[in-house]
Amino acid sequence: MIKKNTGWIIAGLTVLLLITAVYSATVGTADIPFKEVVLITLNELPLINRYVTAPEGSSRTIVVLIRLPRIALGIIAGISLSVSGTSMQGIFKNPMASPFILGVSAGGGLGAAVGFYLGLSFFYLPLLAFSTAVSTVFLVFALGRVRKKTDIATLLLAGLAMNFLMSGLTSYIRYMSPPEKMVQMQILSFMLGNLNEAAWNQIFITLPIMIVGVGLVFAYSRDLNVIQMGEESALQLGVDVERTKFVQLVTSSLLAATMVAFTGIIGFVGLMIPHGARLIVGPEHKRLIPTAALMGGIFLILCDTISRVMGDIPVGIITVLLGSPFFIYLLIRNRGDTGW
Amino acid sequence: MVGTLEVRELTTGYGENEVLKNISFDLKNGEMLGVIGPNGSGKSTLIKALTGVIPTWAGKIKYDGKNIEDLHRRERARKIGVVPQDTFINFPFTSWEVVMMGRNPYLGRFENPKQKDDLEVKEAMKATKTLRFKDRSVRELSGGELQRVVVARALAQEPQLIFLDEATSHLDIGHKLEIMNMVKDRAKTREIGVLSIHHNLNLAARYCDNIVLLDDGEVHATGTPEEVLTRAHLRAVYGIEAEVDKNPRDGSLYVTPVKNIDIKKEKELLVHVVCGGGSGRTILKELVDEGYEVTVGVLNVMDSDLDMAEFLDLNCVTEAPFSSINDKNKKENLRIMRDADIIISTDFAVGPGNLANLEALYQAANAGKKVLLLERKDFHERNHVGIEAERLYRDLVSQDTVESVKDSDGLLNSLAEGNI
Repeated sequence: MIKKNTGWIIAGLTVLLLITAVYSATVGTADIPFKEVVLITLNELPLINRYVTAPEGSSRTIVVLIRLPRIALGIIAGISLSVSGTSMQGIFKNPMASPFILGVSAGGGLGAAVGFYLGLSFFYLPLLAFSTAVSTVFLVFALGRVRKKTDIATLLLAGLAMNFLMSGLTSYIRYMSPPEKMVQMQILSFMLGNLNEAAWNQIFITLPIMIVGVGLVFAYSRDLNVIQMGEESALQLGVDVERTKFVQLVTSSLLAATMVAFTGIIGFVGLMIPHGARLIVGPEHKRLIPTAALMGGIFLILCDTISRVMGDIPVGIITVLLGSPFFIYLLIRNRGDTGW
Repeated sequence: MVGTLEVRELTTGYGENEVLKNISFDLKNGEMLGVIGPNGSGKSTLIKALTGVIPTWAGKIKYDGKNIEDLHRRERARKIGVVPQDTFINFPFTSWEVVMMGRNPYLGRFENPKQKDDLEVKEAMKATKTLRFKDRSVRELSGGELQRVVVARALAQEPQLIFLDEATSHLDIGHKLEIMNMVKDRAKTREIGVLSIHHNLNLAARYCDNIVLLDDGEVHATGTPEEVLTRAHLRAVYGIEAEVDKNPRDGSLYVTPVKNIDIKKEKELLVHVVCGGGSGRTILKELVDEGYEVTVGVLNVMDSDLDMAEFLDLNCVTEAPFSSINDKNKKENLRIMRDADIIISTDFAVGPGNLANLEALYQAANAGKKVLLLERKDFHERNHVGIEAERLYRDLVSQDTVESVKDSDGLLNSLAEGNI
């Protein structure tokens, strides 16, 4: 296992993320050269723009108003979902946990379905989806409290139950909505997840949430390590187990709920990226969290670039299609040993 | 008192359920104190209460004259290291990383381990002979190696007290002694007070300066091993007749449970028992009482049959709790079966998890081993896997070396006659 080199790995991934982002901005219906994208981007940044002149015109509009916010939202979603998944897998001590395990996706899906059905605007719809996602999670938390403690096994079952309930209600709305109004298509697109509607105002909302959320998860990373020894041992090693569980679960649920509200349910990133990162830097969360975050960002922009080239199909389809073979590869590689 | 853990009239439990009543004892630095008692007597609850995992209802726990409950959990973790019965780690942390977790109570939220932490970890790993696999994943370690890593983690806490919660009960006798010796050395050189819960009375007698005997949540007796491990106490608490003798070599006590006062002479027959879920409890005891040498496997940790096997100190192949039997353990089971003169299968419930036991029985019978099937219950009543297991069982029964008996008397008769 590579370990001493974590600093280099993180630096390398950061560079890779930047290159991927700029490359992605050159790809689409209109081909815009790499150099032009760099110039336009630099020109948009404060201070630097004094020294850079960039071409005006349609390329600039496409890059600044369509591609860059989409790429930025992709990075934010990739980071948020990967960190959320890493945290959930840590708290549940289970490599199969995902950010959506506590009902965030199904809850958000129901809110979005209702929103589409009522024809809400692109301002109220995310708000409604976020509210239902968060309410679902808190209901799950309430169900998972046993004797003033959060019981992980009960929580898992409560999440499962709420996932089914909310999905059932969503299916009902989908089924009942008249086909001519496009509602079914909109709900489907939300369920698969997409970055099509990205705009700068979404970045201004999601970026601070991501920074605070990832910061909190990282702040409790050593506690997350020690909890892997079992909750009782963690307590005897000086960890505030209840607080760690609370901070990790609430933060990662809020991260996931925010992304669901703006991008729909992009599957597999939060489940698979933590595995990939664990293969590279091992399970220690101080190294794992930043690595997973960067890998998530890179992975999601790549997937979204493919989705754009394929005519803006929902990016969630690409993440699953690329993700599952990787998962099968992991399965074959690790057959016989249940650990990852 | 300085350097003494003082427990006074401690009462605690879970919910409404009182488990420990008025427990009092002292543990001095450098002393080895054993806690023994039957299942359900409250041994593990005691460690939970002493480490603040569950709140106390009444009474006092003091160390150095200070109330332990008033200590911050980090401060407490710098005083007390705990080695649990078993540890399951789902992710491939290295041994070094796991031992470093013992430094957690010394490290701030954003602090990285310093030279002093590295030094303590290294020292703890040296003392437990785990340094040579410091970079290996704990998932690849054997049970004995992993338990040594967990002991190292406790040592890295630089504790003044170490609590062992049946820390050696899943290990073979060699590893049991190895770990107890390591802890004892450390206790003597660093003046650490050690409280160890023991299932095995002989281990307690051998390693402990003093013993607390618990019965149904209360202290039944306390004192030196000679004072506590008496036939009267063992009869009253465990409901067994036992011989208590002195080991001629080192003078330590040893206890031999017997059914009747006169020990039956050993029958030179090695019997392997496949059981589970309580189906083997009585038969294991009866076989040992009759003087057979008995091995057992594969049993999941926490299986009630395993408790009996451990109580009788039988060699047993074990699997992690609630897990399916893996290939390695199945092979180990087959290896032990090969040494056995005869194999007994109780009417254990067959599920996907222990189907491997049924397969092993079939393979052994197929290889010509004598197999006795105890069939108090019909197979289809205890089969939870379906038609494949049904077929496997039919094939097993049809082997010439396999015989069925209806009850344990029939089984013992069959064994005694040796004519199958």
